[in-house]
Amino acid sequence: MQFGVFSVSDVTEDPTTGKTVSEAERIKSMVAIALKAEEVGLDVFATGEHHNPPFVASSPTTMLGFIAAQTSKLILSTSTTLITTNDPVKIAEDFAMLQHLADGRVDLMMGRGNTGPVYPWFGQDIRNGIALAVENYALLRRLWREDVVDWEGKFRTPLQGFTATPRPLDGVPPFVWHGSIRSPEIAEQAAYYGDGFFHNNIFWPVTHTKQMIDLYRRRFEHYGHGAADQAIVGLGGQVFMRKNSQDAVREFRPYFDNAPVYGHGPSLEDFTRETPLTVGSPQEVIERTLSFREHFGDYQRQLFLIDHAGLPLKTVLEQLDILGEEVIPVLRKEFAALKPAHVPDAPTHESLKTAAARARDLETL
Amino acid sequence: MTERVIAVVTAGLTTPSSSRLLADQLATAVHDELAARGQTSRTEVIEVRDYAHDLTNNLLTGFPSAALEKALTTVANADALIVVSPTFSASYSGLFKMFFDVLDDKALAGKPVLLGATGGTERHSLVLDFALRPLFAYLKAMPVPTGVYAASTDWGPNAATLRPRITQAATELVATLHHDTPVKPDPYANPTPFEDLLNS
Repeated sequence: MQFGVFSVSDVTEDPTTGKTVSEAERIKSMVAIALKAEEVGLDVFATGEHHNPPFVASSPTTMLGFIAAQTSKLILSTSTTLITTNDPVKIAEDFAMLQHLADGRVDLMMGRGNTGPVYPWFGQDIRNGIALAVENYALLRRLWREDVVDWEGKFRTPLQGFTATPRPLDGVPPFVWHGSIRSPEIAEQAAYYGDGFFHNNIFWPVTHTKQMIDLYRRRFEHYGHGAADQAIVGLGGQVFMRKNSQDAVREFRPYFDNAPVYGHGPSLEDFTRETPLTVGSPQEVIERTLSFREHFGDYQRQLFLIDHAGLPLKTVLEQLDILGEEVIPVLRKEFAALKPAHVPDAPTHESLKTAAARARDLETL
Repeated sequence: MTERVIAVVTAGLTTPSSSRLLADQLATAVHDELAARGQTSRTEVIEVRDYAHDLTNNLLTGFPSAALEKALTTVANADALIVVSPTFSASYSGLFKMFFDVLDDKALAGKPVLLGATGGTERHSLVLDFALRPLFAYLKAMPVPTGVYAASTDWGPNAATLRPRITQAATELVATLHHDTPVKPDPYANPTPFEDLLNS
């Protein structure tokens, strides 16, 4: 089981002080959070991708490359990489480059992006979101797996005799997750390729999330990648912790009430009940997170959102300390004890490299 | 014969509201008309006011509360729908519209709908045909030709002229209920196979 944090990279006023950090401060904060994540024993740092204020993360591989240089174990990932508005050629190149620089500590999560105005800025139309995700990802896979690609599709200039460089590290493309909150087509896509499926598990009730994950698992088995309970599932989650539950609620409430997306809407109590948001003691976070397994089955990756809505860096780093000291060690032990032997871990560069070598050996036999 | 389920969506704000009053009379007329044809029916009333916070929250968060989801499902699964909105600023009320904004935009396709509206004066009566009817046309519902508008005077001196309009509209709605409500495909149970997505 992998544990980590994912950031949406919002620059939001701290509602308790009225202070808004600069873009420079926010960018450096994200780096500090990633470095701290490795220090406290987390496995993954993932950054979102946005091309509009109030977000700063427009250039994920630049940030992840910078973090890679200062870490040694952390897996660098995305949440998400826009497969709709990015050129798949550039994604192939950027992430292969990052693989080489990070010695393989790289995977990525495909997402469509739900901000309508962004699409036309990149020459696209949100109404083609699914079709773009399907076609662009099919091309991306070929660019990583075939040295020379001839290709023609609906959304991009044709390619003749094209080689994406650098080639993936050790000839092994980065592992891909597909993130989607509610589109069955994306769960189907992840299942078809035997890729991972990630549900952000923040904005929707468990019943909806379960619907998506069950679909992915069922179709993963249908397409012959293994049994449904061997499919590779990742989940998000959102937590805020203090030693005493009441202190956590008191401190987090102004951030919740004014947060982008759901602020000025449901009460903290409503949202905590209806979604996986957990505000309370470390023990409450442990129990809630373990309950995900009961809803969705054994899963491979758990990412927490901890750094949004104007929370100061100091507070976020304290959250990481609590995660690293009190929450993750317990969760690792509990999840490991519950997981049956036939359920795989999330693929890594090393495991994929070994699997590819074994497949080559089998071919030569 | 199976029991018909008639969902009623009414967006009055006071208790009692004239919208609820009209909605109840329409529902009773539909029930009686079905009974006259030997059909049993059940009425499910949704007072939109009860979901005012949930509707705002749904717009902001993108998902309905459990209670609102139940109401939306009731409407989506009903055999027919009766809707009543008060007239606010020459249209249906904002609260009324919010309910249909968060309802899946395919949920009403092919569904018979009886349009109702209330207002202080008869001069707003075209709200039925200039505001409600286009909304339900967009949602691909099937509003029956007669809508029922009730002004304040319809609850007093003009009550006798309101009754025939209610009966006429109810008769039209029931006349459309001769076939079974089509079962909508569940995209989570039966997703489009990926090869079809790749080749489309």
